[in-house]
Amino acid sequence: MKHLFNQLISFPYFFKIAQISFPYLFLLSIFVILLGVLWGVFFSPVDATQGEVYRIIYLHVPAASVAQSIYYTMVIASITYLIWRIKMASVFMISMAPLGAIFTFLALFTGAVWGQPTWGTWWVWDARLTSTLILLILYLAIISLFSSFDRRASTDQAVSIVVLIGGINLPIIKLSVEWWNTLHQSASITLSGSSIDNEMLIPLLISILGFYLYVTAIGMRRMQIEIIKREISHNWVKEILKEKR
Amino acid sequence: MKNFYYKTFQRDSKVYLSRSSSFLGPIVFFLITITLYPLAFGSDEEKLAELASGIIWISILLANLLSHQFIFNEDYKDGSLDLVLASGKSLFIWASIKIFVNWYFSSLPLIFLSLLTSFMLYLPFDAALILALTLFLGTPILSMFGALAGALTLERGNIVGSSIVIPMCLPALILGILAIQSYKNEELFFYIFLLAAFLFFSIPILIASCLGAIRLHFE
Repeated sequence: MKHLFNQLISFPYFFKIAQISFPYLFLLSIFVILLGVLWGVFFSPVDATQGEVYRIIYLHVPAASVAQSIYYTMVIASITYLIWRIKMASVFMISMAPLGAIFTFLALFTGAVWGQPTWGTWWVWDARLTSTLILLILYLAIISLFSSFDRRASTDQAVSIVVLIGGINLPIIKLSVEWWNTLHQSASITLSGSSIDNEMLIPLLISILGFYLYVTAIGMRRMQIEIIKREISHNWVKEILKEKR
Repeated sequence: MKNFYYKTFQRDSKVYLSRSSSFLGPIVFFLITITLYPLAFGSDEEKLAELASGIIWISILLANLLSHQFIFNEDYKDGSLDLVLASGKSLFIWASIKIFVNWYFSSLPLIFLSLLTSFMLYLPFDAALILALTLFLGTPILSMFGALAGALTLERGNIVGSSIVIPMCLPALILGILAIQSYKNEELFFYIFLLAAFLFFSIPILIASCLGAIRLHFE
């Protein structure tokens, strides 16, 4: 186990694994997303109160879930980097932050499209929407940190400090925003059970799984690019680039 | 022979007092921002009284952004930060002193001014006292987050720092405003205690991460 972990955090080995597994993972994720979304849109029953509109749930919930999960994985990576100085952890953070921003935006956008017919407005200052917006701002602030240092190690350290502080602060922000205002329906799927009918739940879960697979695949690709950027002067990278040519 | 930390405190205070820009800058900024709100929203008494607590909190938050770049920046530029690091003195206490002096000279005057301006914005006196209390608990949090942002962006400008600080400070702002809004009922203490908890919780974490941010410029 330890041996496997040591191999995975070495750049050349990870690069090789990512290179082999990316096409399969990517195609699988596209397949699963299409399965979940098409099943949801065409074959699942109509919602009793919201009608056809609710079907955007098959994009909205997975995007929101992925957006938050990316931040929590980044917090774990930041702790890993701050304690053990594993470079792969900072590569992970820097590659995942833009993905997190994109999915947070997607969650906000699909939420707005869903909110228009059901709540009557594109946007309300509700607890969840506000804290998602803050999550987006946090992602963008982290991305803007990428270019504010001359040395790579400083960037890594600064990003991991901000990610960690944000990770401690995010639950507090969420709680305080909830005291401030709340309108959004509370989470329908929890570990103990769900309030959604099975016929809607299964495509939704498939769609969520597909989004996670997609993020894993694209994240691996982005990490590969980041590794090449960092190790451009190393021989193993030069050899790979030569082979490609 | 006086203590190293006491000397740091003395020197920093002298620097703040002798340089009008760092002492008066936040005050002028605060007053001009407060003036902007009635000009933009109209001078209606009820409306202003409703908005007053938010106006003052936001203005103080923004004024705080102005001053945080001063905390570590000059020591970094003139090289005294290197000496402190090399001297083996506790960086934690040193940074706490720097942040305290910054708070003392840039936030404390604003807290007293906020009492004054709350009359200008027709805030009831009881609420104004609660406002001052929440500011007293909240501004050290702002200063520490500001110090963190300042320490992170020692080399470059502070637009990045500001965009990091503001989302982090939101709990302080929300709790402060909620406390002022419920100044007549029991819930007030709930929010005040939460704000105090947030302050005491953030002191060790934020100062420690400040040190991490400072050290990254010397690796």
